[in-house]
Amino acid sequence: MLFSAVAVTFLALTIVSLPIVFSLGIAGFVGLVVGNFSLGKLPSSLVAGSQSWVLLAIPTFIFAGNLMERCGMSYALVDLARALIGWVRGGLGMSVVLAEYFFSGISGSTIADVSAIGAMLTPPMLRAGYKPEHAASLVASATAMGILVPPAIFMIVLGQVTDTSVVGIFLGGFLPAAVTAVCLMVVIFGQAHRLNWPKDRRPTRAEFGVAARASLVPMVVPIVIVLGFYFGVFTATEAGALVAAYAVGAALLYYRNVSPREMLVLIHESALLTAAVVFLLAVASVYQFLMGMLGVPAMLGALLQPLHATPWLFLLAVSVIVILFGMVLEGLPAAVVLVPVVFPIAKQIGIHPIHFNIVLTAAVGIGLFLPPIGVGLLMALRFANISVGQHFRSYWPYLASLVVGLMILILFPEITLFLPRRAGLVR
Amino acid sequence: MIPLLRVIRWLPHVVMTALMIVAMVDMLVGVFLRYVMTWVSATFDLPSVRFFWVEEIGEYSLAWLTFIGAAIGIRRGTHFAVHILTDRFPPAVRRGVKVGHYVLLIGFGLLLTVYGWQVSELNSQSYSPALDLNLRWLYLSSVVGGVLTMIYSAAGALDAWRAPA
Repeated sequence: MLFSAVAVTFLALTIVSLPIVFSLGIAGFVGLVVGNFSLGKLPSSLVAGSQSWVLLAIPTFIFAGNLMERCGMSYALVDLARALIGWVRGGLGMSVVLAEYFFSGISGSTIADVSAIGAMLTPPMLRAGYKPEHAASLVASATAMGILVPPAIFMIVLGQVTDTSVVGIFLGGFLPAAVTAVCLMVVIFGQAHRLNWPKDRRPTRAEFGVAARASLVPMVVPIVIVLGFYFGVFTATEAGALVAAYAVGAALLYYRNVSPREMLVLIHESALLTAAVVFLLAVASVYQFLMGMLGVPAMLGALLQPLHATPWLFLLAVSVIVILFGMVLEGLPAAVVLVPVVFPIAKQIGIHPIHFNIVLTAAVGIGLFLPPIGVGLLMALRFANISVGQHFRSYWPYLASLVVGLMILILFPEITLFLPRRAGLVR
Repeated sequence: MIPLLRVIRWLPHVVMTALMIVAMVDMLVGVFLRYVMTWVSATFDLPSVRFFWVEEIGEYSLAWLTFIGAAIGIRRGTHFAVHILTDRFPPAVRRGVKVGHYVLLIGFGLLLTVYGWQVSELNSQSYSPALDLNLRWLYLSSVVGGVLTMIYSAAGALDAWRAPA
């Protein structure tokens, strides 16, 4: 009764496009009323849910990412990627993947990645003779991979929801992202030969030096993060503060192209985005209470009993659900709704929390770029100015390679756990 | 516009931006105290600097900035919504739906305000461990969030109502 009241309210409000966070909030009130709990539970969970040390990593990473993008660090990273791999057949396409890997290492938000990479690399691809649908596919699939490269807001949220070390999840993401990137590159390589995509001129040593030097300033960020986490020097929240300080320093002292006024505007925008993310989590924390009261996790546990013997099948099933939810609801809402339900079961059948979170992150990445309504995909298509229908026929090989990447991550937990284990975060 | 009204209109934005700066500077100070000052006081045998207020300032700023920013976001469209169905509605219906949203949000804001107030009263006897701050000040963020939600939604409802179909 309670469950259906909440579910029906949520679905009805969401389908008439009330923002999801408010559908959840209102459905939460309904749940408290029907279940005869105190309505004060909602505001108190909201406050408790937004007052969190782990989540404090979100504002700094969002702000730092915005600022570094504004300074033009992304241009340097794109140039580096092109110098490294652009001269191979289909190299421009591969450099989309590589540039996204680098760029995602300074930016925490997938949606920001799509606009940065899409805006910077779509025009050169079109000029070089790539068809718009291929250009859009490359941007979409590369960014779907990029969600696995830390820092990622999504991983911070997962760390909070599953009570797992964010540092562990961050460290866990690097290799899976690389594996997925390789899967994509293989497809691009094949496509390049089939469709006869052009090569860039091989850069001279001097040109390469210029590109490498320009990318030194941005590359400090991912390197410091990896080393700092690997050696356990700081927490994710502290890393966020350091990265933000570094970004401000670089903007004021090195690039000198951001006025104080623009800086304030960026802080304002970053605060709005932070509030949207944290508020969503805060609202979702009411559900942890409601579902606990209902025994939903136990119910689902019984339902998924047959899968308990085969963890990979369980992860696959969860991934499929997450991909679909992620397509409809966008990544974060999907995660905050589903994860608290599924995570206890995963833990019970012996899946390592870091592995679980990374698989989930990869699945959400695919969901965001799944036709017909993945938010990220729709954005990527906007840069190439084509429709979903036109696009799908050329997209499926990339989509398939993302799925292959996901399967590899599911079947071989050690890919994810290797770095965290070496860092002593996994026993 | 009347100057006073203009001030009121910008106040939430200014406060939110200020809180964002406070939170970030606070964390940086925290890193400095934890890594540099701890080392300094250990090396030179000085009295150690206490820094566990850093957490409280950061967390409370985040709570406040979340409530204010979430309310501002209502009209800025920062909250994600699913538009598959409503995009197919005729304009007149779409307008009606929009007004309906804002009315619902006014209700949500009202509930948040009323029960948020109750919760802050309930917590007014407790004090935070590090700053010794009355916890009412933390929970009042939900009340302010509720009030702002009502204001922004009411403005949104009026605009949607007046907009030509």
